[in-house]
Amino acid sequence: MKDQTKSKTGASVNRLEGALKVMGKAKYSSEFAIDNLAFAQGIQSTISAGKITSIDTSLAEKQEGVIKIITHENALKLKGYGGRFEEPDTKSISPSLQTPDVHYYGEYIGVVVAETFEQARYAANLVKVTYAKSEPKFIFDEHLDELYMPKEINDKAKTNTQWGDVEKGLKDAYKTIDVTYNTPVEHHHPMELHNIIATWEGDKVIAYASTQIVAHAVKTIADTFEIPEDNVRVITPYVGGGFGSKLQLREHGTLGIMASKMIGRPVQLTVTRHEMFTAVGFRQHNRQHMRLGADKEGNLTALSHETSAATSTYEEFQEPCGAISQTLYNTPNSLVTHKLMKLNLPSPRWMRAPGEAPGSFALESAMDELAYKLQMDPAEFRIKNDTQHDLSVDKPFSSRQFVECIRIGAEKFDWKNKWKPTPGHTKKENWLVGYGMSGSSRQSPYMESSALIKLKLDNDKVQVTVQTDATDIGTGSYTIIGQTISEYLDIPLEQISVELGDSKFPKTPGSGGSWGAASYTNGVKVACDNAISTLKTLASTSEDLSVIELMKKADLTEFEAKGTAGPTEEFENYSVYSFGANFCEVWVDEYSGMVRLEHFVNVGSAGKILNPKTAYGQIIGGITWGVGQALTEHSQVEPNHGNFITRSFADYHVPVNLDLGKIDVIFLPEDDYIANPMGVKGIGELGITSIAAAIANAVFNATGKRVRDLPITPEKIMKTKIEVA
Amino acid sequence: MRPFEFYSAQSASQAVVQHTKNKETHYLGGGTNLLDLMKEDVKRPEHLIEVADLPYKDIKSTSEGGLALGAMMSNTHTANNTEVKNKYPLLSMAILAAATEQIRNMATNGGNLLQRTRCPYYFETSMPCNKREPGTGCGALDGENSKHAIFGWSESCVATHPSDMSVALAALNATVVVQSENGESRRIPFTEFHRLPEDRPEKDTTLSDSELITSIELPKSEFPTHYYYLKVRERSSYAFALVSAAVGLQLDGKTIRKAGLALGKVAHKPWKLEKVEQFLIGKEATKEVFEQAAELALQDAKPLKHNAYKIELAKKTLVRALLQATSRS
Ligand SMILES: Cc1cc2nc3c(=O)[nH]c(=O)nc-3n(C[C@H](O)[C@H](O)[C@H](O)COP(=O)(O)OP(=O)(O)OC[C@H]3O[C@@H](n4cnc5c(N)ncnc54)[C@H](O)[C@@H]3O)c2cc1C
Ligand code: SF4
Repeated sequence: MKDQTKSKTGASVNRLEGALKVMGKAKYSSEFAIDNLAFAQGIQSTISAGKITSIDTSLAEKQEGVIKIITHENALKLKGYGGRFEEPDTKSISPSLQTPDVHYYGEYIGVVVAETFEQARYAANLVKVTYAKSEPKFIFDEHLDELYMPKEINDKAKTNTQWGDVEKGLKDAYKTIDVTYNTPVEHHHPMELHNIIATWEGDKVIAYASTQIVAHAVKTIADTFEIPEDNVRVITPYVGGGFGSKLQLREHGTLGIMASKMIGRPVQLTVTRHEMFTAVGFRQHNRQHMRLGADKEGNLTALSHETSAATSTYEEFQEPCGAISQTLYNTPNSLVTHKLMKLNLPSPRWMRAPGEAPGSFALESAMDELAYKLQMDPAEFRIKNDTQHDLSVDKPFSSRQFVECIRIGAEKFDWKNKWKPTPGHTKKENWLVGYGMSGSSRQSPYMESSALIKLKLDNDKVQVTVQTDATDIGTGSYTIIGQTISEYLDIPLEQISVELGDSKFPKTPGSGGSWGAASYTNGVKVACDNAISTLKTLASTSEDLSVIELMKKADLTEFEAKGTAGPTEEFENYSVYSFGANFCEVWVDEYSGMVRLEHFVNVGSAGKILNPKTAYGQIIGGITWGVGQALTEHSQVEPNHGNFITRSFADYHVPVNLDLGKIDVIFLPEDDYIANPMGVKGIGELGITSIAAAIANAVFNATGKRVRDLPITPEKIMKTKIEVA
Repeated sequence: MRPFEFYSAQSASQAVVQHTKNKETHYLGGGTNLLDLMKEDVKRPEHLIEVADLPYKDIKSTSEGGLALGAMMSNTHTANNTEVKNKYPLLSMAILAAATEQIRNMATNGGNLLQRTRCPYYFETSMPCNKREPGTGCGALDGENSKHAIFGWSESCVATHPSDMSVALAALNATVVVQSENGESRRIPFTEFHRLPEDRPEKDTTLSDSELITSIELPKSEFPTHYYYLKVRERSSYAFALVSAAVGLQLDGKTIRKAGLALGKVAHKPWKLEKVEQFLIGKEATKEVFEQAAELALQDAKPLKHNAYKIELAKKTLVRALLQATSRS
């Protein structure tokens, strides 16, 4: 047998589709040349609450190239929400233009279809809408008395959990903290705009749609248009980032499909960068009240994490900010709650590490604050409060190298020599130098996933094609799936072709929630195992022969095998998480308050790393997101009108290269076959978790200023007072 | 984008004549600002006259011993020009602090001075804005104004001018040379080029409708050694300033002989600090003196609801820029 070490899992293989992408040959959903294509442009509401009283399309209709203007007055009737306010599990439908009601500024209230994109966009500007306004609510602080406890929060998680007695734990503590953190509305902004090209043939529809989960998009379309799932095909071979905003195909998808049906032609609808602020979800503003207590030795006596946030008036969504506080530390007394109010803003939705990203900022800042009060090394404080048992569900962790992550990170960073407890300890000219750290963890889900492999014997070579509806959202799915085949069929990568992102292929859970890599590769592995065992039967042998030999022996030139993997009972008996630790050095300009990230060290323990190269990319991307969360990203709601006035990349600041400094990423070896047979855990969201806290803690260490409202801008550094212990 | 007619001008005078023919006419430089505004439906010209290729793309010496920068020259070429770098490094530094390389490659010097404010209300056609649509009110005045003016604003407009290059030009006492409707050229001192909003915020400058900028003249080099452009912003590059300071000093030992100073993003125009320039003459270049200068510079500042922090920030920015300029050699 040939050795495929260089192409197996664990090898730093270059992306299989890299060359295609560089040459512009990797086709994204908006790049399919479809005959007779028309273009649609959405029309958005310009009030936050009320009703449309009239829509004058006469001028717009007269313009060159305009084919049709669709509004609630002439839209196709779709399956609607029963009442408007819905429980999370009915979100698979996505109606639009069904009523004259307006729920937020920027809501799609119509769509213009024209021969060209420019014509559609121009005509959309000429549509005149009049409204009967009602009293909108969009300022969080004005509606605190309307906070309520939702029945459940994202993913059917519990709204409230508690054990022990937090109040007593706080009373008995040697030191306590009682502080509140705010994380702002943030937007995903994947590089590739949301898009759909829809084309109907009779009662069947094909949608080229930028989406993270093919099967979910199929279901949404089928349910919304009330057609069988078999009549829907979704194609999405490449996705230019999603970050949660593409988990579902939302209103823009519905509009494209509806428009195509109504004009009887294929239609493309691309969400503009400006519309991305209102059309595809965002991370909600979370206010997190943290109360922690510890005894003299630094053992936690209580941890309370209470979140208040806002959802829209038509959909209920709360990310589980408190989740990380339930699992990361050993506390005898715990309280985690979530409350919501309804505002006239678009619905918040999942954004990279929903819950953990804002939750870890609160928890890991609070741990730092308490360590400071205890005059303890914050790294040692965390180690002291480690737990090998998930107290929230009373299950052991399948594996947990949290302490190892901290120790190795500290060593790599030279934490012991660099870090000093008193803020303002080091000054280099105008720069105040500070060090900060944080611990992190993120659940590592694993879900049922299938794949089909096709083998073809050709001139003494086996060509393999693998098909699954998995998506590659820039993460490297093509490559790790290819590596998995190479490993389990022992075939070089050059002979493997990976086909993804088509609903006619076997189902997977798609990419999201850090479940993609583990789920896909295990599904593919089972398909390979099934292929070998069936071939052995057909070849009537029990010998470990190569695939070629088996096919020859069985007298086959072509052969197919399917496989499905999924969680077992054992998996359900454990808590399966990835863990990590972050260390960083920041420089804060004492004049301007500008923060420079000098060095970042991230250590992760996340099972088998399928491809270090793509995995580093994930973590560096996650850290970059964390830097944005910490220092630059912030979507602002206009105080009188309720629209987002950060309306382009010129106002919504994602970090640039200069903001990043030196980044070191380390993965610890970890064998965890409870997680799944291949021992793969998620990393996509671990990468962003607790990054902002590490940076904020370093800013405190540099300046003595605790900025509890993200992002940490020069303005806030200027306004925040130095804390004295 | 609305339909428009496009002309490519062959000469400055032809461009100006063409411009006077129709009301809704705009010159087109690199288009990095105007095209964005057209796509957003903020600007709705019916006629565009491309001027980017007119022969004002070079740098000439003036009889006063200064330089004349062609208005159609790109920001990149201007900033990297050896004479500019040697004699007016403050200008290079300010230009390079703006936007990105790609945008600077397209952006012309003339267009840069005339770029419009970044006030978000100006960009959003569904919101009130006197600058975009006179008479609709100023959305920012009672709305979100954390990045708006602290000097010279009026009830009709509290916007700031976003150009970095212009702040350096104000510090350097430049002159804008334009071709007028009557075929003559006109020279406008930089401090008189941009205007305060008063009750006509739709007008950013003192140019008449069809005047075309042909060059920007710099006086004899005064601050080739001690200079600094400090731009404070919310990320390390590719962001407009919160505040900025352009500083040029002439030093004799520790004694200041001459100063050229301006603040950016604090008013509807680059904010030239004439009083402070006078104050500094003959003083020692020390932190204490610079702090006094900063107090003087900001003494007439008037904050809005959300931007009081900019006063403190502007002081510190100015002090820091003066210190940096002093320590350069
Ligand atoms: C994303 C982004 C970030 C940016 N960041 C910065 C920044 O940080 N700092 C900064 O200073 N700038 C920044 N800019 C603005 C940039 O510098 C300006 O857009 C550019 O300088 C304008 O030059 P232009 O030639 O492209 O002008 P155009 O867009 O062609 O024209 C602008 C205006 O000037 C008029 N005009 C052009 N030439 C002449 C002339 N010769 N005579 C009379 N009128 C004329 C036009 O009619 C138009 O009204 C940024 C721009 C973008 C898009
Ligand atoms: S500040 Fe000026 S540009 Fe901004 S809304 Fe007011 S009038 Fe318009």
